[in-house]
Amino acid sequence: MNHHSKATVGSAVGLALAVAVLLLAPAGCANKAAAVLHVYTWADYIKPELIARFEAENACKVIIDTFDSNEAMYAKLKAGATGYDLITPTSYMVSLMLAQGMIQPLDKTLIPNAAYIDPDYLKIAIDKTMDHSMPYMITNTGIAYLKSKVKNFEPSWAMFDRQDLKGRVVMLNDMRETIGAALKFLGYSLNTTNEEELRKAGNVVLRWKRNLAKFENEQYKSGIASGEFLLVHGYSGDILQVRKENADIAFAMPREGGTISCDDLVIPKAARAAALAHAFINFLHDPKVAAENTDFTQYVCPNAAAYPLMNEAIKNDPGVFLSSELKAKCEILADLGADNAKWVKVWDEIKAAK
Amino acid sequence: MKRSRFPLIVTAAVLLFFYLPIFILIVNSFNASRFSSSWQGFSFKWYAQLLHEPEIWLAARNTLVIAVLVTIVSLVLGTTSALALHRFAGSRLQRAHFTLIYTPLVVPEILMGISLLMAFVAAGVRLGLATIFLAHVTFCISYVALVVLGRLQDFDFSVIEAAQDLGAGWWTTARKILLPMLAPGLAAGGLLAFTLSLDDFVITFFVAGPGSTTLPIRVYSMIKHGATPLINALSTILLVLTFTIVIISQRLNRTKFLEGGTG
Repeated sequence: MNHHSKATVGSAVGLALAVAVLLLAPAGCANKAAAVLHVYTWADYIKPELIARFEAENACKVIIDTFDSNEAMYAKLKAGATGYDLITPTSYMVSLMLAQGMIQPLDKTLIPNAAYIDPDYLKIAIDKTMDHSMPYMITNTGIAYLKSKVKNFEPSWAMFDRQDLKGRVVMLNDMRETIGAALKFLGYSLNTTNEEELRKAGNVVLRWKRNLAKFENEQYKSGIASGEFLLVHGYSGDILQVRKENADIAFAMPREGGTISCDDLVIPKAARAAALAHAFINFLHDPKVAAENTDFTQYVCPNAAAYPLMNEAIKNDPGVFLSSELKAKCEILADLGADNAKWVKVWDEIKAAK
Repeated sequence: MKRSRFPLIVTAAVLLFFYLPIFILIVNSFNASRFSSSWQGFSFKWYAQLLHEPEIWLAARNTLVIAVLVTIVSLVLGTTSALALHRFAGSRLQRAHFTLIYTPLVVPEILMGISLLMAFVAAGVRLGLATIFLAHVTFCISYVALVVLGRLQDFDFSVIEAAQDLGAGWWTTARKILLPMLAPGLAAGGLLAFTLSLDDFVITFFVAGPGSTTLPIRVYSMIKHGATPLINALSTILLVLTFTIVIISQRLNRTKFLEGGTG
């Protein structure tokens, strides 16, 4: 009995240690293994079948890891975490990572599909020449509303002033998006650092606030699907997903312009499989692949050759595919650096106001 | 004499706050609607879709492997630590030991995550399942040690002396006296370590490397960009699993007590 139990306890500990060693082992010999591409991205952001296709075509393995915010991803890499070959941060974060010397230049001879990138998009992009980043997916921040409930809809930020919608309207709990909307409404740049312009925009948001149910980032999606809210400020990618459930929802981009956000494909300095990462970027911008991926994510890959191949519902949506004229009025959120504090001050006043 | 209703109301409120959210989550995992605000009919579709999500299963496997290993290792280390703390209580060395064991409980998670990451990077360790395992053991030892220590506080050591008087060796004493009497503490410590490891996000996020995404990391990212109903379905499965483990462990404990009584 004693020997038996001794063996059990001993073998349990032994087993645990053995498995622990096994866990450690692959870390040592990963270099010798077949080609592996480590992608660090948002969950459900690449269609799984496309990954399988890339693996088959390139005789490699693609391993996806996920992060949930640009800031957390940045903090982790900044502290020294390595091992990722391709990352998809939002444009403003790409600027910061570039300034910190964390990403490597792209070798465009390895990415012939770069020729398909929408030139209209590149005009407003931060990295216009795609030296360090290629755009992956864009989303517009605009207005979603219920067609049957909101009479006389106008595609304008002025909708947030409409008294008949009082208490059934929501704006994003996001300093850059919401003050940015007011700046656009006033005809200013949404990347302004001019304190006078910010003050005026702050006053507009304060006026809107009296009309709002709340500032909110997540629940607005279910809120408009269920009809609790009639008009919400939100991202086209999210709204398109919600619209699958409630066909009464429409999305519009205000005529004054608004934000276009883009997640970019970048290769970190420490990447071990840089060549494979270039091949994957090129693959994602194959027009057919880009169209298929757009149908999966409901975000739009800014690949002009892919546009005609996209799903009709997305392709024909004027809130998603903006006219060149409207697109020219839209802006990408830029990293504000030290001027961020000016925005925070205005935003704090807005949030504190009754 | 009329009893106060107050305890009853508080108990009911506590139970409500504990279990109502879980209940809502389970109900919504069968909701055909993608957005939980409206009920659009009963459906198993999220469970069916879950079957076709290899990345989620990989994350679940990573999580479970780590949790099981962490539980075993931190039980052994934590218990030995508690024994030392109890046996030599009061000595200067053990007071320092106690402080060291106690610290991980009060250090903010984000600080621990970043510092562990920096330590691993400085040591040139490649991030992965192994670093998550080490990080989890680091904080789980403390919980196990303190739970077992609590059990040792009212432990009657004369029983052990009696056993030794009767000729029991070190191992027999440990096996026949110490372990059975500590069993409830070990079970509590083990379950605590298991659940802490299972749902840790902050520390895990920092020490995880390529290819070692765990379920919590995956779930957080899904909330931002993906489908929440899948998370509901997954959570329901995990809940069923957890309850099953708890029920089985309670059953086992009961049998053990019976054996102890008759033997």
